Amino acid sequence: MIMNVMLDVDRTAASGVAVQPIVSLRGVAKHFPGVIANQDVDFDLLPGEIHALLGENGAGKSTLMNILTGIYRPDLGEIIVDGQPVTFASPVEAIAAGIGMVHQHFKLVKAFTVAENVHLGWSETPGRISRDLLEARTAQIAASLNLAVKPGARVSDLSTGEQQRVEILRVLSRKARVLILDEPTAVLTPAEAAELFKALRQFAARGNAVIFISHKLDEVLEISDRVTVLRGGRKVTTKPTNECDKRILARLMVGQEVVLSNMRERKPGAKPISDAPVLSLRNVSARDDLGNLSLKNVSLDLRAGEILGIAGVAGNGQKELSQVLTGVRRASGGEIHVCGKDLSSRGAEEFAAFGVGHIPEDRLHSGLAPALSITDNVVIREYGKAPLSQGWMYRPSAAAALARSIAEAASVAVPDFKMPVRNLSGGNQQRLVARREMRIASNVLVAAYPSRGLDVGAINAMMSYFTELRDAGVGVLFVSEELEELFKLSDRIAVMFHGEVMGVVDSSQVDVETIGLMMGGQRSLEAGSAEEVR
Amino acid sequence: MIDFRNLSRRRFLELSGATGVALGVSGAGLMRPALAATPLAPVAEEDAVIAFGYVGPTSDEGWTWQHDQGRLAVQEAFPKAKTIFVENIPYSADAGRTFRQFVSEGANMIITNSTYGDFIYDVAKNAPETAFLHCDDRTLMDNMGVFYPSHWYPSYVTGVAAGHMSESSKLGYVASFPVPSSFAGSNAFLLGARSVKPDATIQVIAINSWFDPQASTQAARALIDNGADVLFGIMDEPGYLQVAEQRGKKAVMLNTDSRKYGPNAYVSSIMFDFRKFYVDQVRARLEGKWVPGQFLLPFGDGTDRDAWGETVPAGAAKAADEVREKILGGWNPFQGEIKDNKGEVRVPAGQSMSDNDIYNWNWSVDGSSGLA
Amino acid sequence: MSIRIQRVPSENMAGGLAARLIAIVLALSIAAIVFAMSGADLGKLGAHVFKSTFGSRFGLMDLGLIVTPLILTGLAVTVAMKVGAWNIGAEGQFCAGAIAATAVALFVPGPTILVLPLMFVAGAIGGMLWILIPTLARAYADVSELITTLLLNFVGALFIYYLATGPWLDPSGLSFAATKRLPHDVPGFWGDVHWGLPIAVLLTVALAGVLNYTRWGYEVRIAGSNPAAARYAAIPFRRHLIVVMLMSGAIAGLAGMFEVIGTTHRLQGGISNNFGYIGIMVAVLARGSAIGVIAGAALMAVILKSGIALQTQGVNISTVLALTGLILFFTAIGDELSHYRIVRSKPA
Repeated sequence: MIMNVMLDVDRTAASGVAVQPIVSLRGVAKHFPGVIANQDVDFDLLPGEIHALLGENGAGKSTLMNILTGIYRPDLGEIIVDGQPVTFASPVEAIAAGIGMVHQHFKLVKAFTVAENVHLGWSETPGRISRDLLEARTAQIAASLNLAVKPGARVSDLSTGEQQRVEILRVLSRKARVLILDEPTAVLTPAEAAELFKALRQFAARGNAVIFISHKLDEVLEISDRVTVLRGGRKVTTKPTNECDKRILARLMVGQEVVLSNMRERKPGAKPISDAPVLSLRNVSARDDLGNLSLKNVSLDLRAGEILGIAGVAGNGQKELSQVLTGVRRASGGEIHVCGKDLSSRGAEEFAAFGVGHIPEDRLHSGLAPALSITDNVVIREYGKAPLSQGWMYRPSAAAALARSIAEAASVAVPDFKMPVRNLSGGNQQRLVARREMRIASNVLVAAYPSRGLDVGAINAMMSYFTELRDAGVGVLFVSEELEELFKLSDRIAVMFHGEVMGVVDSSQVDVETIGLMMGGQRSLEAGSAEEVR
Repeated sequence: MIDFRNLSRRRFLELSGATGVALGVSGAGLMRPALAATPLAPVAEEDAVIAFGYVGPTSDEGWTWQHDQGRLAVQEAFPKAKTIFVENIPYSADAGRTFRQFVSEGANMIITNSTYGDFIYDVAKNAPETAFLHCDDRTLMDNMGVFYPSHWYPSYVTGVAAGHMSESSKLGYVASFPVPSSFAGSNAFLLGARSVKPDATIQVIAINSWFDPQASTQAARALIDNGADVLFGIMDEPGYLQVAEQRGKKAVMLNTDSRKYGPNAYVSSIMFDFRKFYVDQVRARLEGKWVPGQFLLPFGDGTDRDAWGETVPAGAAKAADEVREKILGGWNPFQGEIKDNKGEVRVPAGQSMSDNDIYNWNWSVDGSSGLA
Repeated sequence: MSIRIQRVPSENMAGGLAARLIAIVLALSIAAIVFAMSGADLGKLGAHVFKSTFGSRFGLMDLGLIVTPLILTGLAVTVAMKVGAWNIGAEGQFCAGAIAATAVALFVPGPTILVLPLMFVAGAIGGMLWILIPTLARAYADVSELITTLLLNFVGALFIYYLATGPWLDPSGLSFAATKRLPHDVPGFWGDVHWGLPIAVLLTVALAGVLNYTRWGYEVRIAGSNPAAARYAAIPFRRHLIVVMLMSGAIAGLAGMFEVIGTTHRLQGGISNNFGYIGIMVAVLARGSAIGVIAGAALMAVILKSGIALQTQGVNISTVLALTGLILFFTAIGDELSHYRIVRSKPA
């Protein structure tokens, strides 16, 4: 069935016989003050296809989809649905035209049940309702769409993957023919992602279409029939996916050959790896916010001038590890030494003072104050030092100067430093946070999932920042779930599972399979043998 | 100087009700004699501005509505004069601002229907050309007189009716604040009832407001729950009457005929009529004859009971009306011996309370609880 | 050419001011239409309101007296907002400050010059004590200060009634729901306007300076905006929360102190005049800017004073309240609209 659809698309492309697109955009432009969000974008969505929309953060993907779903109105150009030009005054009209979107951040009422969420704000919701009726209707719709949901469950009790299914059900129940998904796999486990892909293929096979926004190249290659690449608000190209590979897509996306080379190579003049550890943990344990022991007897050494990767499926103690290492969370046991100094029971202030920088896992929630200005945010590590502070005085002008220099180093163009930092794209926020932390990271940088949610360009910037630090003799602890990144960057990789370190391996002497096994709970050879000896 | 305490009510009526003769008052150290030797200069009618400051809304169908009837009467009597008014003046610095606004708008006379203490004194001191009539107050100034209805007489009369009608001998009173008008009202009511049923008692609840239907309704429910079967109060709205109607009890009201809110519960009301008094006062001011004094609207002329309610037994009404006639004939019902609710004799046998004593009443009689 | 309206992320200062002015003008225009339809002489009414506010010495003095407590309560709410707390209880802290200052005035003998600073401190401490429990409950048990501060308002108001009609009742018998006239007075600054006004303005400017130009102020901003970021940057969120909330209470308490010692001279029920609640409106109008509090308080003072002046012209009190609401409503819309700008673009 899937093959048939793909063949259809190929045939139309080859024969030139026009299948009427469900939706077309013609010459769409959208400008914001000082920013061209979209310009001259043409886009066709054919029935039966899964169409990937690829682009860096800030490439204009979200704006384009907001135009298509009626949230924005284009400054120029037109939207054509089934051959007829339309204007959407609101998302309601877009939904009525069969265009629905599942946003990256779900728009569900958590206290309501699945059935209630599905029926919320829906013209077809019956006037007289009961719990049973809503659940029966929901179950029926779900069955017809082949989506497994629990109609009576409260949304707050559902896993992220299940919540996403509810969102999709909500959209599809409104008779959507076009389903737009914004970074749908960012929140899913691999198994959940596989299930989602299956459902999407079935949906498309019924003559509908999917727009799949992503910057994960593997995914795009796996799921899509065609791919459209945006860059700087303009369309670069639309290609059948089977004519692409990762390298081609990456080049289209960032506009230049991406350095996928081994970044473990030192530049000439780089400082060597020290013998003494700059950061060392001995039997460190910690509890999570719920009081569960989520870090168990971890011992690690990080040397100056090296990048130590922390691999593992998210939620195996990495968050607590990075917090303990930066003083944000107190260890419940064990010792932490930075440059030989025992900081076990010290707070974030002392860690920062000892040259430990920290790129936190969730930058918007813990690394930034989203409502405050860019200036306020980028000086958060240095507000207490000269020249920003003199005694108890704080100098906004000095802060603004520092903010400008950090933004410059991060290559982030900031139109107005007084603007709330939440108005920046995720990639730019992360660049600023990274640059801010690099300034204080004279000994250690702890980076927790620094590439999460970023596009290739921003990820490369992050990577180059870390090698720059490494070459300057700083120890970098790099937490990631992307094995490719870890291998590319890390000198050694420690694998975490259930709060314990399964082993530390030299990344030049280990293969992906071994790491994968350790992530699943297998101890490394040395560790395993040590246990046998015991 | 006339000694206020020795005035009979009839005499008082003659003096104050007619043309507004100033009364020098020297009662119990609470009152100062009038200081004005010379009246304020006359004002031409077409130049006159008479300002009224109300504690409640004119739409309250109660106290403020009654005063506004007085204002309308003034306007009718002096069509070329200008009357202005402000409603809902709080007992706060806003009151002072309102009176200053009146003065700045050229008011020749400012009449209030509640007491505003320093907020009005401070303005009056700086506005010597403006006459002030300050309701429910005791301070006389060169340009400030005080006035109040002698509501305790009809309160006593309706108390007699309540004494006849009460089966539990327990009465209830919804007070505003522990101020003399609350003491006088509840005491007079109880004394009237005790003239019939010597074991009668009254429970008082103060709700810290003159106009708070919700609080007065709650207070009324509590009073009835405690056994009261005839309610009285000093509210500017009919909340407790409605409670009495629902619960099959009786209620005596204030200000206006409010029987429509509780036809079965309605006993009577303490009625006020400020029209004649206001017109006389304004006329004196315009003619250059006004001097400050303490003015009490006498029983039978501006202060009286309303026609009895439908369900009031003829016997009770008759007995009460006989007392009314007696008072109008010059009898003082507030005669010793009167004890306070701590058992101390406050008015020895053979003595009686003057209007001034009653006007400044600040203790509860035996059998009254809750106020002080 | 087509004209479009776009939302922009950050508002510009001039646009915000213009939007506010337009909002006020619009509200007044609607009011004018209503008045004109009911046959009022608009010119006369306008002149009257102007004369009663800016156009006369006594009008200005009244504005000065109204604006003093409003600046302080508005500042109290704004300061709490800085640390991420909603102090709905400025009304209660106002009462507590008034009570504490009255206690000093009644029971501490001495010349005004010595007792006055004591009353000042007492007013601040009174307000602080009133917010202490909500503060600790929020800091240590994460109990919403919204509810706790609000509920204590009623306690504060009733406590004043109790004191003013009970133990502290004027012994002279001349007033029946108030204390005796307090023996001290805040010195006059201009006519009836006492030194509370310049002190309130100075306090506002000083606090704005502290928030913008000290390390502490920076830390408070971060802590108030995102406690997790504060923890990350080793900024003691809880300590700042407690200190700032207590400060907020102290400022509201000062408003009560100035009102009782400087304006009413007696403690009595109803003294707060809703200044605590109006302070919330002032803070909302000021949009978190300490300096904006002065402008917000001034606007509210003019509205309140105009309300009195309009009433003497036969404008119903309900109309005055509706007009007040209208101005605030339009200001809120204007604030939102200042986020938009008009762009012209040529069609394709």
